[in-house]
Amino acid sequence: MFTSALDMLLVSSVLTPVAAYLGERLGIQRLRECFVVLSFSIALLLLLPLYSDVFEGITVISFSSPPLAGCLEIDSLGILMAITAISLALLCAIYSIKYMEKDSGLTQYYVLLGFMIAGVVGVVFSGDFFTLYVFWEMMSITSYALVAFRKDQPTSIEAGFKFLVMSAFGTSTILLAMSFLYGMSGTLNFAQLALALHTGSPSPWLQLVFPMLVVGFGVKAAIVPLHTWLPDAHPEAPSPVSALLSGIIIETGLYGLVRVLRLLFDPVIFALPLGAIAIATMTVANLTALLQRDLKRLLAYSSIAQVGYMLIGVSVGTGYGLQGAFLHIFNHSLMKGLAFLSAGAIIYRIESRDLNSMRGISKYMPITTFALTISLLGLGGIPFTNGFVSKYILFTSAFSAGEPILAISGILNSAFSVVYYLRVLQTVFAKSNEEGKVRVKEAPLTMLIPMCAIAALVVFFGIWPAPAMDMAGRAAASLLDLERYVKAIFPAT
Amino acid sequence: MLYAVGVYCLVTKRNMIKLVIGIEILANAANLSFIALSTRLSPEGVLSVDPLGHSFVVISIAIGGSIIAVALAMVVSAYRHYKTLDVRELKRLKW
Repeated sequence: MFTSALDMLLVSSVLTPVAAYLGERLGIQRLRECFVVLSFSIALLLLLPLYSDVFEGITVISFSSPPLAGCLEIDSLGILMAITAISLALLCAIYSIKYMEKDSGLTQYYVLLGFMIAGVVGVVFSGDFFTLYVFWEMMSITSYALVAFRKDQPTSIEAGFKFLVMSAFGTSTILLAMSFLYGMSGTLNFAQLALALHTGSPSPWLQLVFPMLVVGFGVKAAIVPLHTWLPDAHPEAPSPVSALLSGIIIETGLYGLVRVLRLLFDPVIFALPLGAIAIATMTVANLTALLQRDLKRLLAYSSIAQVGYMLIGVSVGTGYGLQGAFLHIFNHSLMKGLAFLSAGAIIYRIESRDLNSMRGISKYMPITTFALTISLLGLGGIPFTNGFVSKYILFTSAFSAGEPILAISGILNSAFSVVYYLRVLQTVFAKSNEEGKVRVKEAPLTMLIPMCAIAALVVFFGIWPAPAMDMAGRAAASLLDLERYVKAIFPAT
Repeated sequence: MLYAVGVYCLVTKRNMIKLVIGIEILANAANLSFIALSTRLSPEGVLSVDPLGHSFVVISIAIGGSIIAVALAMVVSAYRHYKTLDVRELKRLKW
């Protein structure tokens, strides 16, 4: 019904309990886990034909008759986001096999995971607000449940409830904004909306819709005044889920923001407010990250800061800046995925999130610490990691667009963030004076494999960024070329 | 207007159930706005109703229902842990 990859995700999520039941009945251990991993890999493979399709043009799939008129519109940007999402989900699923072993309700966990990824892929493929909203809620509801997954811990319930209240407020705001857009144009289709409403000088109603969209999508993207759910939700969720939340969900929020604003407004209008938000987001997040003792909480604040860097590219609005932003989305999901997974491996072994108790852990878990080091260096933007490449593009784009304030504050923040990354590294490499850690062993193999794979990718794209840059460049071009996007739906106009 | 009531409710209320009600009011504000705006005058002066808005609202209500289900499940779990519904008591997470 939808595209083959999305269908695969939806169907396999529904079938996961069946696989779990069969596995239990037939006595095959880990049938459920194998099924989930397999279905993610097949979905990733199914994306490949789509990927070659978008080189030729935008793929449009409409799946119902006029009153509902939902449609998917897949361009290079959607494909880039979908590849990022599914590949990270695949690695997290492999990682979860061991990490989640001791938890109960694992069938539900994998079902929720599958539906969350299906929701993300649906959001980035959707070609109208109707589809976007349905998939958006699918992604949101499953992520609330995943954050509060360990329901016997009071803190995770608290984080989940906070996330739910803030995020539900955000989605209702988007819904109200949608209703205004619908009232103005009588349609919810992106292309028709762009035709009807995209003008140089927005009407008063559009000016009202603008802040509502920024607030609504901004809650998910964790821009600064609305970020407070994130540092609670990320540490409290199980580590693979934090990796997915940080690597994909907040980027999906950013995707929605960019896509919709680009459709409705001229970049001139939103450049200034988004630039201001970018600076505020980076600065606040980096300052608070310095104060953290909890490793996962520190990484959560660093995620917010990274969203600030991406917003620089969006605010600059040139093709080069957007290329940087999308490249950074791709790179960030790799780096932050790796950071959360390796932090999760350490936590799995020492059962504490406190930085102090991780002192000298490098001696006992060398490979994990090595992976953590690579990811933190990448996040800090050290050369020969992929973070350097995308940050370089972002900052130079701000300079070339004549916004030196944005660029300089970005560079300062980036340099500043290295301080707390180094603090983590100093802690894990420090000499341990306790004897209690002798029992700590290296992480299990199924956790090491995804970590090593991502670490290799981080370095690979740092040394040879061309393929990722090419993909991000196409995504930016396709976002900028509004005319082509509209023509894909209305060949006549 | 209902939207303003919903925001007011979210900001001032301290009871978790009332927060959930606030969310529901917000969603209903948007739904109502959809219904109202789906009515339009055609060029001939005939009042017509666009089915798109209505079908959207039906789906949106269903989605709202599932959000409330998840929210109430969390409220129940939170009550089991904290023995209160007051969100001010939920402050183990800071910074």
